[in-house]
Amino acid sequence: MRRYESVWVVNGDLPDEEAKATIDKFTKIITGQGGTLVSVEEWGRRKLAYKIEGTYRGYYVIADFAGQPAMVKELERNYRIDDRVIRYLTTKKADKVDLATLEAEIASKAQEAARVRAEAEKAEAERAAAAAAAPAAAPAEPESTTTPATEAAPTEPAVEPGKEA
Amino acid sequence: MPAVPRRRRKQFYVRRKVCRFCVDAKLLIDYKDVTTLRQFITERGKIIPRRISGNCARHQRHLTRAIKQARLLALMPYVPSPPPS
Repeated sequence: MRRYESVWVVNGDLPDEEAKATIDKFTKIITGQGGTLVSVEEWGRRKLAYKIEGTYRGYYVIADFAGQPAMVKELERNYRIDDRVIRYLTTKKADKVDLATLEAEIASKAQEAARVRAEAEKAEAERAAAAAAAPAAAPAEPESTTTPATEAAPTEPAVEPGKEA
Repeated sequence: MPAVPRRRRKQFYVRRKVCRFCVDAKLLIDYKDVTTLRQFITERGKIIPRRISGNCARHQRHLTRAIKQARLLALMPYVPSPPPS
């Protein structure tokens, strides 16, 4: 087994669901051909450096996986068939993979993803709590003037990841 | 290499250029890292030669490859688009 990294660019004029659908499709091809998926990273919509197929926008997805060379061939064949994909690039990162380290990496990546998700959920819950507290606090004591200020701070980091996407 | 001048009228202080990738082991060459790659192209999008940038042969090779891969994925331009006027 070899370690690969594959990037594909989906036409940015297509809706997000289409881009997400390609992730599903290609990760299934990877696992279906006996590959081991380590992680899938979404860069999301980005401006292209030049026009491709009449658009300046692209949705970038990066998959990190291990597999056989034949599997990459099959994956790239599918990239070429799919009209939604405007560009792709597969690079080999290592000639040999150790299954134990691979599994450890998958676990740590999953943990990291769970942590990020939990943080986002926490921020979301805080924002909801702040929104719920704001109207309730407004008609109450003059103390209410301090609460929106403190609650405004934790909501800010939650907005930032959204900006990048 | 220019010949050693007989009369030393003008003194050249050629600062010894070193390969930035050899100096800083943390600086990796990756086609996805556009901000780093961008430092090694001109405004016209050309790859800066080793003679100017001071990179070692090995790293220049890796860098060139990374820039070309980034171009393919439209992360970097082959030819920069003219600024909107």
